[in-house]
Order: sequence, then structure tokens, then C-alpha cells
Amino acid sequence: MKSLRRDLSSDPHTANVTSKVFVRSTKSGKVQKIVRELYLRQDIPCSSRLCTICPSVAPTDANGNIAPFVLSEQPAGTTAFPRGHYIVPDTNALLNGMDLFEHTGAFYDVIILQTVLEELKNQSLPLYNRLLALIKTDEKRFYLFFNEFRLETHVRRGQEESINDRNDRAVRTVAKWYMEHLRMVTKRSKKEKALPAIVMITDDKENLRKAKEENVTALSLENYVSGLEDADRLLDMINESKEAREAKEARGELFYPEYYSMSKMMTGLRAGNLHQGVFNVSPYNYLEGSVKVAAFDKPLIIMGRHNSNRAISGDVVVIEVLPKDQWNSPSTKIVDEEVVTKNDNPDAEDNEAVVTEREQRALQEEVRHAHGKNLEGRPQPTAKVVGIVRRNWRQYVGTVDSTSTSSHTTGRRQQNVFVLPMDKKVPKIRVRTRQAADLLGQRILVTIDAWNRDSRYPTGHFIRSLGELETKDAETEALLLEWDVQYKPFPKSVLDCLPSEGHDWRVPESKEDKGWTGRRDLRDLLICSIDPPGCQDIDDALHARQLPNGNFEVGVHIADVSHFVKPNNAMDLEASVRGTTVYLVDKRIDMLPHLLGTDLCSLKPYVERYAFSVLWEMTPNAEVVSADFTKSVIRSREAFSYEQAQLRIDDPSKTDELTQSMRTLLHLSKILRQKRMDAGALNLASPEVRIEADNDEVGDPLADVKTKAMLATNSLVEEFMLHANITVAAKIYSTFPQTAMLRRHATPPPQNFEELINQLTRKREMRLDVSSSGALAESLDRCTDNENPFFNTLVRILATRCMTSAEYFSAGAHAESEFRHYGLASPIYTHFTSPIRRYADLLVHRQLAAAINYEGEDGRATIEGSITRNRLEDICRNINYRHRNAQYAGRASIEYYVGQALKARSEKLAADGVDTGIEEDGYVMRVFENGVVVFVPRFGIEGVVRLEDFVLPGDTANRSVEERRELVTRRESDFDPEDYTLKVTEKWQGSSDRAMTVELFQRVRVNVSSVKEESGRGVGKRRVRILILNGK
Amino acid sequence: MAAQRQASSASQTPHLSPAELSYLYTSLSLPGTPIRPDGRSPTQFRPLAAETDILPGTNGSARVGFADGTQAIVGVKAEVERTALGIQALSTAEQQDYAAAGNDDRGGGNNGGSKQGSVSGSGQGSWVQMAIEIPGFRDDDALPVFLAEMMREPLVESVSGGGEGGMVGGLKGRLVINRRWHWRLYIDVLLLSQPLSYPLPLLSLTTHLALLATKLPKLKSKGEEDPFFDDDWNAAEYLYPRVKSTKHSSIPGSISVHKVRPPVTLLVVSVAENIIFDPSREEIAVADAVLAISVTYDTDFDRLKLLSIRTIDPPSRLTQPGVPNSENVATLGSTTAAEESVIVNPSTGEEEVPGVWRPRRGGVKRATIAKMIKMVLEKGGVGEEVLDGLEGVEVG
Repeated sequence: MKSLRRDLSSDPHTANVTSKVFVRSTKSGKVQKIVRELYLRQDIPCSSRLCTICPSVAPTDANGNIAPFVLSEQPAGTTAFPRGHYIVPDTNALLNGMDLFEHTGAFYDVIILQTVLEELKNQSLPLYNRLLALIKTDEKRFYLFFNEFRLETHVRRGQEESINDRNDRAVRTVAKWYMEHLRMVTKRSKKEKALPAIVMITDDKENLRKAKEENVTALSLENYVSGLEDADRLLDMINESKEAREAKEARGELFYPEYYSMSKMMTGLRAGNLHQGVFNVSPYNYLEGSVKVAAFDKPLIIMGRHNSNRAISGDVVVIEVLPKDQWNSPSTKIVDEEVVTKNDNPDAEDNEAVVTEREQRALQEEVRHAHGKNLEGRPQPTAKVVGIVRRNWRQYVGTVDSTSTSSHTTGRRQQNVFVLPMDKKVPKIRVRTRQAADLLGQRILVTIDAWNRDSRYPTGHFIRSLGELETKDAETEALLLEWDVQYKPFPKSVLDCLPSEGHDWRVPESKEDKGWTGRRDLRDLLICSIDPPGCQDIDDALHARQLPNGNFEVGVHIADVSHFVKPNNAMDLEASVRGTTVYLVDKRIDMLPHLLGTDLCSLKPYVERYAFSVLWEMTPNAEVVSADFTKSVIRSREAFSYEQAQLRIDDPSKTDELTQSMRTLLHLSKILRQKRMDAGALNLASPEVRIEADNDEVGDPLADVKTKAMLATNSLVEEFMLHANITVAAKIYSTFPQTAMLRRHATPPPQNFEELINQLTRKREMRLDVSSSGALAESLDRCTDNENPFFNTLVRILATRCMTSAEYFSAGAHAESEFRHYGLASPIYTHFTSPIRRYADLLVHRQLAAAINYEGEDGRATIEGSITRNRLEDICRNINYRHRNAQYAGRASIEYYVGQALKARSEKLAADGVDTGIEEDGYVMRVFENGVVVFVPRFGIEGVVRLEDFVLPGDTANRSVEERRELVTRRESDFDPEDYTLKVTEKWQGSSDRAMTVELFQRVRVNVSSVKEESGRGVGKRRVRILILNGK
Repeated sequence: MAAQRQASSASQTPHLSPAELSYLYTSLSLPGTPIRPDGRSPTQFRPLAAETDILPGTNGSARVGFADGTQAIVGVKAEVERTALGIQALSTAEQQDYAAAGNDDRGGGNNGGSKQGSVSGSGQGSWVQMAIEIPGFRDDDALPVFLAEMMREPLVESVSGGGEGGMVGGLKGRLVINRRWHWRLYIDVLLLSQPLSYPLPLLSLTTHLALLATKLPKLKSKGEEDPFFDDDWNAAEYLYPRVKSTKHSSIPGSISVHKVRPPVTLLVVSVAENIIFDPSREEIAVADAVLAISVTYDTDFDRLKLLSIRTIDPPSRLTQPGVPNSENVATLGSTTAAEESVIVNPSTGEEEVPGVWRPRRGGVKRATIAKMIKMVLEKGGVGEEVLDGLEGVEVG
């Protein structure tokens, strides 16, 4: 018997064919062997500008151009490589030092291998995305080299070789190839002498050793960075986790339980024993988290550090429900990490327990409490984290905890410090730094690298400093970073997409011009815009006129942004990433470049502008007879502020046509509003104030803080915008049943309101009917208190918080019955009216243009409207996220401004003596066991009032923070969770007259001031302090 | 076509005249030293060429080509599947002993069903699916169906002992991942050429090789967890585990050998007293008996073990008989009586006239079958030779 096996190795045609074999497990549990054939090529360029050969062989695009070469002719040198060098990092180098690679001071001319990129993708998706972004930018000169596809650099895996070893060999092979390749192409040219070195960066010892054997220049990341300028600062940016892991290997003291294996979690998830969800930390108690899972209506509670098992707010976790005897009621106590874990030492880990004694005590108290009062606050199911599906770690803004730095910092010794993140839900982060002394009192950016079982706190590393605490620039950047707002100036590629005429762009005069194709001439209509004062990006304008038949023609004209922003160019992509314009108190982060937003698109008065118009014919009773959509050219007659418009309408002496048309609009808007309310729309409230910064140094800074006034003209504009949005939504849905961009507000589940209903019943004997939005609106109207006019607003604020937030979605993602916008009581809704500041509106414009068969200048407009559902859903996900963050950032900005205004005021008063704060009305929003949350409408802020901040009768408000803090030991509280009341008494006096009782919804006089911690932990940290002056 | 299907019992019968058949029969039945048309010795196999791993997309594959031009390829694919567990099975899992006893009483007919819930060592025969494609036949024709079952049956029913490198519960046991999950094996056999001879030996050898080359992804999860596999194909493990060779170093070049191997099915024919292996089409046409003998290694005793014997309807039964001169009208009386003397066929006991073909009818002697089996099974016999030869094919 003869066996014959064809030997392919001798076949010259097989050298460039190889295959990649791996096992793929699909979600449905299928396990497949996947074979990918690779056809190796020799035309993949090295992309070095030194090279003379590659430009002639590199593949060209349709126009015969090759991709521009990336790597510089004269790369930067270091002391070790004076002739310049190219960097070839391996995967670990990128994992450990991504911040370094992003640093603008060093790490230029980097060759990223396909092998490395793929490995990175498997290990960390966020890092992978950051690397992709780096490769895309031109400045850093990162070149993605497809080494696996190039014949010379492809590496076949050996018989007994592990994947890691093979990949390491691939990196070495590339480094070697580059060396030889560059030497060859520069032979006998004058560049020969100035040949840059190829430096491989790896932290793998074995790899370093082999590199040495093979004559490849290789350095560990740390060694390489040490040779750079400013090494101290750069060294701090290396990922700490690896080092820490190696250092601690020996000790092996473990504080946290191990995570389940992936397969065990998957088994549990499929079987329904385990649940997956996003881990959220309570804003009032950092030790308590909750996870909303699909299987249950209410979120499961996770108590204490041990159960949360290294999860950080935002992580996607897998949880297991605890046995019933460990169930607990949600905490009624305010627990602040900064106060509880005051004196932790970041270096001394030997004696640290997972739960410090103080934490333990805080937890025990809660348990006791839960066991004591099981009638009302019956125990809730609790759970523990058993695994992490995805970490959602980002970069965190924080400050160095001054008490954690050692006092004798001489020289540049590396030491451990704690960084307190601005976000209270994030635990403090242990960071090793050589510049601890410099960083005190600075806003700094850090990132979390790891949280191992043997470490009580996560470890991270320093990225950069934003500047001094409380400086405007640092604080603004801090909150932009915290809310992930893209605030970098627009790159050149985006600005290149702007019209070349710049500010001189005009609507073409000749109607023969292609710009006029498909546009209606509406220049003779009396159109005006009404916006907040000082508004530059005018999205919308209106007009109304009577028709011969007695009906009215009403037009809403929206800036035609889609004319300027074409799909899929750099500007469009940038806008889709930004998603929305972000408004801060003193800054606006635009979605579109300035030129478009405030000039070319903006419907400024007295000039002709392109617009997208919605025209209705309405009866005098505001019944719509017909609706029409058209691209148009308009000329706005006037840009009013709300006040100006109101004054003009109210002024009976004005009888010109424009004013008349505004009166018509107002009249119709009132009818529309009434109809909407009848349909069950909610009148919601959010605690908003507006800051009018007019920068007068003399006046009271607090005078700038104004609660938003609601004028009739506000609602005029709002009604017509809503109406336009609804009309457009129906139109695009009929044309794009799957891919219309819509907005919905889901009906909130009734259990969301349980707590509020209970509170209202108990405290005010009021009923809240949440069976429908109409019923809710009606019952909210009944929630009034004659003595307390703000009470109704307070209830509305609380009710709003019980609801889900509205979201963008693609029409195919939900059934038509789910399209409903709960708050507006509209069966369908979208955003059409603010394309300058919202990306969703821009997409809707494109869809509407396609829906009305508008062809545009180049006849492509109909195609531009279509979009695949997957792409649309990606966009929706992003803009929902950006939209939410923009709101948070705006609020945070106002909060910061209020704090600063209070501070400025106190500094002004300090000259006369002591700061006494400012007295205002406040309302109790929540009652805890050791404090209450008070909302101060005047400033739109809510704050925690702790026991020591109750000014009891006979006490003086005028005490410093430290004096107050001493009071806490003598204070006692009596908390009634069923009655939502808190009684604070002074212990040592023993007399009952030094007591104060506060209850939910109560109006209290409060003293608001801005204080700075003078000693102890968090020195220099400024916060708004609220003192309660009177109770019952 | 109809004729072809009719012939499905043992491949197409060559169109040989009764005289040719008789000549062939006489040559093959020469006592002790049969003369085969192609000059082979009775136990000699036709030369074959074999290679494995020819289909990269499969878990294991092989190609075998005989010198007469017949070729087959086999691909093996494996898929993870959830094991259907009945309530009864769940409860029986706890009381295995009792359940095992119950199974014995019920007998073999209910084998597959009753074994469901028992210990993780046992799987179900239905987890192995075999499909055979033969040119010119539909997949529901008798020949492919019969062949598939003939090869599948010994495959799933051969249960070997455990021990180092062994497979507890045989192939079925190997397919069990845990109580809730198992592998399902699809064996696709494709005959590339026309079935010139009865294709069973070719297909069986190819399947054997393909199974030897079959790998399953390495399991990473433990115990009763949902299965989770290593994504590195190089880490995949052989379906038939290999152990380092200790004593069987007779095979050059191979470091590891299989302790457990899939069975092979050999085709053996008897012509008169002679036993002939790997018969060609012409040889089958005159055979007295055709047997398909499935054997495998018995790891416990380190020798071959008989798994099954199937008799295959010999095509000679359907051939046209020759007419003796004495009965032929054309030649009537032209021959002498001496030439016409009747000889008793030793294997069938029928009376025969030499040189005149008579279809073989009736049975085969017990002793002949015993001899056939012995030749396959004995140490150093044909079976061992074949298995060792296949082992020598470089796998992987």
C-alpha cells in the first residue's frame, strides 16, 4: 500500500498563496472552522518618503494616483538615534502607552502593523478606535502597514509556535524588512548616511532577547521614553496595570472575588440565572449601585464594594441575584466617598481591607435600618457583580487628593497618590506619578488602567493637566471632557468643505442659476424670526398671511443646511460625530463651522437666504387644510428677540403688516396649543435658569442668573415648530417606512411613578393618575398648593425625572404603535427645525428633500436622502448619546457659573467683613436619614444638606465649614421613611427646643454660599453650601 | 439506468460471456494459488494513493484513489448541538445504575433512545450522519443508502475501552461535550469516478483516513457550562486521540499513533476454496460469496476485533448460465462423454461441467466464512496490514 501526499512547497505558485485558519464561535452557539485564503502581494508600499521604489509600484486609485506617503524623510531623532527613527510598536506597547502615542510632544513616524492592529482590536476596542483615529490624522504620521499581505513580511506560523510568538516574530520581521528595504533604496544616494533607525518597541522580555539575536533594534517602552525630553512627565503616562501586576504577583492578597469565566457567564445568561445590564452608581451613595436588567421591571440593587466587585459606573456587568436573606431596602443615607474614606493611604496596602472599618459601619447601619422597618421599605432584591462584559472606562477629570501625597516630596521620586474624580460615581483612582507636588491644585486628566483583585482601588495613570483649579479654561475643558464633547477646532479637511466664497457667498441673482432649480421664490413674503436675545444661529423664521378665501397661509422656514453640507464629506462626518451644538454659559461648541452656522445658513434679517419651507393653509380655527413642503429663497424682514416681539405685538399703535402677521401667528398658536393640551400633552418642567453674562464688573454677579421667563412669543415659536416637526415626520415616514429618522418618547412604565405617587398621597393627599399622558397632565394640574405656588413646578420636575428620555430612532426599529411621543401626545414626531445645531434635523432635511423629489443643483438630492438602516441606527445611537451629554454639560456649566457668581459675591463682600451668604427659598426634594436634598429655584441648583448644615434655633448661620463639621458629632437625627420627615436635634443640650423638623415638599428658607474647604481632605475644593435656616 | 439500479446489490456486473465467467472462475478457484486477472496474490490490495486534509474548510478530509482510476473524497464536518434531554432522562441521570440495568432488559432495539440520559460517556448513534454520493445514483437509491448504513453502523457501535489515549464510549462517547451539549458529525462521502468495482472498500478506507485527520476545536469551558472553544485552530484536538508511540515503532516517520482507530470495512470474496481480498469487478462477478467485514483495533487486547459481517448478494447469481455441449442443439453429440464428465463443485456441492458456467446459487460453507474472518483478524493478517498502511498516511 502506497501513500501519496502532494507536496506543495516546491510549487512556485503556492509561495504567494497561504491561508489563515481559525475557529469562530457565533452568538447562536455555532462553532465554525474558518479558512481565509491570503494572496500575498509585493506592491504594498513602505510609505517612507525616502523610498524611491515603492511609489512606482504602489497600487493606484481610479485616477492613477497613489496614496500619499506618510513617514517623514527626516524623522525626529533622539539622543540614542541622532539620525532619526521610525517606531514599530508591538501590541503591548500600544496597550500600555496609548496616551504616549497620542501625545503631541513625541511619537511621530510610527509604523502600525496590521497584525498589531488586529491584536489590539481583540484586546481593547476603545484603544483600537483611538489608534484608528491616530492613523487617520496627518499630523502624527502613523502609517498602517499591511504586513500580512506583503510577501516579504508575511510570517507563516511554525508547527509548535504559539500565536503570540508568531505575532512577535511578525513584528521583528517587519522591522528587519524596513531596515533592509530602506538601505537598499537609498544605496549610493546621499540619503544613505542619514538613514533613520527602525526602533521596535516591546515590553516582552523574550521578544527583546530575540530581537537582539536577530539584530533588530528593540527597546522597552520605558527605556525608550526615558531617552526622550520631558521623560518624567511622559513616564507617568505609561499604563500602570502591568507594572503593578508584576510587582504584586508574590503577595497575592486578594480583596475581591474572582469573576466568573466567560463561558460560565454565557451559560448563566442563556439559562437566565445571571443577568446583564449597565452598572449605575447612586448619586447620593457611592456604595450603592443598581443594574436594570431585561428580566425585571425594577432595577436590582447592588450594595457595598464587595458586591459591586470592581465595577465602575457605566460598565456592562453580569450580576447574580443574592439569596433572599441578603435583600435590602435601598439606602436612605447620603454616603460620600470623600468623607468616609478620608484617611486612606495610597501606599500602605498591606493592612487594607476591602471594606474599611468606617465603610463597614456605614453599611451595617443601613442593614440594621432595613431590618428594623420592613413595613413600608420592604427589602428589595439585591445582587452581586460576577463578571464584566465590557468596561466603559474613559478618561476622568479629577484632582489629586492632597492628603494622599507625602509631605516630604523631595526631587522626582515616584509616589502613589489618589486622584478624586469630578464624577462622584467613580471611585478614587490610585496613580503613580513623579510630579505629585506640581499636580496639587490642578485639574488633571487621568485614566483607569486596571482594577485587580488585590487592589482596593483602581489603578490608573496621569495623562495631562488642564490647568489650575477654578480657572475658567480648566473648568470649562474639564466639563467638556467629562461629558465627552468634541471641542477641538474643526480640522482643515472639514473647513475645506465650506463654500469657497466664504462670507461673500450670496444667493445667485439670476433665476437661471442652478442654485434656483427646484426652489420657490418666497422673497416677497413678510418673514421674521423670533429667538432668544443675542442669537446668532437663526434656524427658523415664520410668516402668516390671509388668503383670499379667508383662510391663512402659515409658513415655517428653516435654514437650508443640507444645501451646504453634502453627505459623507468630512464636514458631514464631523457633524454626525458631534451630533449637536453644545451651549455653555460663556461658550458655544458648534456642530458646524462658524461660517455656516452664524452666517450662510443662519436666516439673518435683510439678506436673502436659502430655506426649506413648510407651508400650511389653515382655517381661522387652525385646522390644517393642506400642507406643502418646498425648498425656497427667503428674505427675513426682521430678527426679533422674544421680548421685542412681545412688545411689538402688545403695542396697539403698531399696525404694519409684519406685526399683524405676528398677531395672526400668535392667535393661531394659542389654538394649536390648546388642541395639543386637549390631546393630553404634558406641560413638563425642568429646573432651568439662564445666565445673561453681560460682564459688568460693578453689579451683583448673581443678577445675571435669571430663571427662564415664559413669554407668549416663546410658545408661539414652539407651537409652530412642533407642528412643522409633526407634519414633516408624517411625510418622511410615508416615503421611508424603514429608514425615516424619527423621535419618540416612550410611555414610562407605571412603576417609575410609584415612589412619587406614594409621596404625594402621604404628604399632600394628592393622587397622580399615570394611566395616560392626558390623565397625568390633568392630575398634575390639580397638584397645587395655594400657599406654595412653586409646589406645582416642583411636582412637575419630580414627575419629569420619573420618565424616560426621548430618543431618535429609525422608523424600522419600532412598531408604528411605539412611535408615540408621550410628552407631546403626538403619534409621530421628528426634529426638523434646527439643522444648524442638531444633526438629526440635517438628516431629516435630506429625507424630506428626497420625499418631495427635490433634485438639487446636481440632481443628487434624491439619492442623498436615502441611508441604510444600519448606518441610521448607528447615527441615532451616537446623537442620542451626544444629545444627552450636551444637556448635562450645559447644566454643569450653569452650576459652575452659579458657584462662581456666589464666590465673586462673597469676595466682594469679604471686604466688609464675613460672607453671610444669600438667603433664598428652597424646597425639599428628597429626605434621607442623615440629610435632605434641597432645590433652590432662584439658582436652579439642588444640593445636599447634611446634619451639620441645619441651623437650629439659637444657632448662628455664620459659622465656617470647620466649625459646622464639629457640630455633626453632637447632632442626632430621627428619620421617618414612611412620613418622609427628618428631625434634627442637638444632643448635648438635652432640651427639645433645639430641634428642627423638615419634611418632603416643604418650603424652607436657605442660606446659599460658596465655601472652600480649608483643611482636611479635598483642600481647596469649592462647593456650594446650603444651610437650612428654618423648619417646622 | 434500470439495469444499473438492479445491479445495485454489488455494483455493475460486467458483461462477460458465460465462457469468460467460467474461465475466470476456474483460474480463481485453482486450489492454493489462484490466478487473478491482474496478477495479484489473493491478499494483495490494488495500489492506492491517499492524502489527507485536502479540503481546508472541513474538520478533516481525505482522498483515496485506486490504481484502476476510482477515486473518493470524504469530508468530515462537526457542529455543536444541544442535547435534547427528556424529563425522564434527567431523573435517570441521578440513578444511573438503575437506568443502566433497565436498558439491558429492553434490548438492542431501543438502544439509542434509552441511552439518552445516562452518564456523559455515552452518546447517540444519530449524532453521526453519513451521506454518500455516487455518480449516476440518486441519494435515495438503494446502493448509497445501504453503503452509508453499512459504514456508519460499525463506526458508531464500536465501543472501545478507556485507558490512556482511549476513547470512553467509542466515537459516540467522544462526541459528548457535557450533559447538555454534543458534537454532531457530518461525514460526506463522494465517489468521484464511476463505480467500477463495488465501492465499499474504497469509501471505507477514505472515511477511515478522513476521520483520523479530523480535529475538533479545543474546549475551554469546563463541566456543564455552555461550550466555549479556543479560537486557535492549531490547538484543535484530534477526534481520535493520539498517543506517543511506545512499541509500534514499525511505522516510520510518525511520532504519535492512534490507540483507537475508526473501523474499516473490507470486502472479501470466496471463489471455491480460495479467499480473495480487494476483489476487482470481474472477480466479484464470479464470486461464490461476497462479505463486508468490519474490523477495528481492540485497545484492550491490542489486536483486531470483529465488528460486523454482512453478506452481499453476489452478482454471479444473476448471470446467464452457459450451456454444456451435451445440451446444446448446435453441438449435439459432437463431444465425447468423457469431456462431459460431471464434477462436483467443492464449495456448493452442485454438479458442474468444467468450462461451462453455472451461476453460483446456494450458500457458502461455514468453514469458508470462518477462514475469511480468520485471515482478516489474525495477527499480522490482512486487517492489520491495511490499518497499519492507513496509519502510515501522513495526517495533518
